[in-house]
Amino acid sequence: MGKFSQLIQDVIRLCAKYLPMYLSGMKNTVLLALIGTVLGCIIGFICGVLNAIPYDTNAPLGRRVLIRTLRAVIRGYVEVFRGTPMVLQAVFIYYALPYFTDGAARFSSVWAASILVVSINTGAYMTESVRGGIISVDPGQVEGAMAIGLTHIQAMMYVILPQAVRNILPQIGNNYIINLKDTSVMFMISFTDFFAVHRGVVGATYSYFPSAVIEMIGYLTMTLISSFLLRKVEQRMEGSSSFELVVSDPLTLTSGVYRHPVSEELFKERSRDYKGKD
Amino acid sequence: MEMEPILEVRHLSKTFGTNPVLKDINFNICRGDVISVIGPSGSGKSTLLRCINLLETPTSGTILFRGKDITGLGNEVFAYRAKVGMVFQSFNLFDNLSVIDNCTLGQIRVLHRSREEAQEYARQILSLVGMAPYCNAKPRQLSGGQKQRVAIARAMALDPEVILFDEPTSALDPELVGEVLDVMRELAEQGMTMAVVTHEMAFARQVSSRVVFMDEGVIMEEGDPEELFTDPRNERTREFLGRYLNQ
Ligand SMILES: Nc1ncnc2c1ncn2[C@@H]1O[C@H](COP(=O)(O)OP(=O)(O)OP(=O)(O)O)[C@@H](O)[C@H]1O
Ligand SMILES: [Mg+2]
Repeated sequence: MGKFSQLIQDVIRLCAKYLPMYLSGMKNTVLLALIGTVLGCIIGFICGVLNAIPYDTNAPLGRRVLIRTLRAVIRGYVEVFRGTPMVLQAVFIYYALPYFTDGAARFSSVWAASILVVSINTGAYMTESVRGGIISVDPGQVEGAMAIGLTHIQAMMYVILPQAVRNILPQIGNNYIINLKDTSVMFMISFTDFFAVHRGVVGATYSYFPSAVIEMIGYLTMTLISSFLLRKVEQRMEGSSSFELVVSDPLTLTSGVYRHPVSEELFKERSRDYKGKD
Repeated sequence: MEMEPILEVRHLSKTFGTNPVLKDINFNICRGDVISVIGPSGSGKSTLLRCINLLETPTSGTILFRGKDITGLGNEVFAYRAKVGMVFQSFNLFDNLSVIDNCTLGQIRVLHRSREEAQEYARQILSLVGMAPYCNAKPRQLSGGQKQRVAIARAMALDPEVILFDEPTSALDPELVGEVLDVMRELAEQGMTMAVVTHEMAFARQVSSRVVFMDEGVIMEEGDPEELFTDPRNERTREFLGRYLNQ
């Protein structure tokens, strides 16, 4: 037990001195993960939707070539950024700029570089998720949409994507939580996230384990709160499982006789003013 | 009887890979027609309907809609599809939208009606098919028969000149078939132009103005339902109907 009370004291001592640093690290981590995930989702949706443009063998050659090229480029992007570690992508992108310009151009802020890396990385995963989400929507509904005269883009916007989003919502949340943790590699390009604070603190105090305990608790707090919030969002997207029957005869609404004499508004079936023909 | 053709199918052929599914199909749909298309499985009935509203691109031949060839249409194809309604075997309702939104989407996006106008009209049509009380339901909360009635309303809401039905009752439990056929019968009586691929021989015989028998991608026989059902001229028709009539 002595060791535990020792640990608690060490943790308190570290917190007393470095709490603002830990907190600001957490803030940076959450911000980077959030922005990266949002931008990554945008990239993923754009790529996923572009990928889903139907390839019609009867389309003009130029259009077919364009679609094929687009798909190849997206494929390449996904494979490269899914197939390499993010830590390497970070240094790769961060140092590529000064290398090619002989030091003339470099990222003016590690924020910009970090957001870029996390977004591109998340985008690669989301592209695949969105593709899967689109494919998982019943193709019959696409036909239904075509049959009433919607264009491909309209079918996407009003029918396919709303369902795809619901299908991949858990994966978006998953990506966010992964980003909360994996942005810890950004210390490589001097981004001061939560984990970078740990490195700073132990450099000064050699309190490796107590600081690691703080980090564990901090990361768990962030991920657990996120999971909780995400589940709330999912429940909300689920919508109600029941519906109410509309009991009046809607035909009575159409003749114009049923407008409210004062407000001139159509009677709502459920409004107080409406007297259904019983 | 008026004989103003809405759709004229001329020498229509469709080949999937090397598999010729439709071979030189010729027939007309006139205003007020209720055409039943019957025939064995795989004979190309669905493909014919799908070619007519361009869900499939015909390999050769022409389809005239009010005298205008629609096989080479560019962006007008979307407006054309709205004029030719389609009801599928598997309903194909939009699962993310309520019943009424299923019926307003096309009105708003394709016909550019205002939301209020579209909703009011959708309510009228829905009450026609007996689904008005379910305006706010989602498709997954409905029975098969109810879904199909909504699908019919969705097609009708666009004021199509003709509605194509592809085996509208084949996916339904037997006790739900009647409610959908009743709606279709009602539509036919109101003068809606319809082409119905069906295995419901009683419906084909009683409701349609003309019956088309297809086999192996060819229209084998076409004629008055009473004649075709009692005294088919074609040997294949006789064989096919025999199977049904003996049941
Ligand atoms: N997209 C496709 N690609 C390749 N072959 C197809 C395609 N669609 C249909 N076919 C083939 O075309 C033939 C006719 O199919 P179709 O669905 O038109 O028949 P059907 O008369 O509607 O049959 P059923 O009564 O079973 O619905 C079948 O042999 C089928 O395998
Ligand atoms: Mg079929």
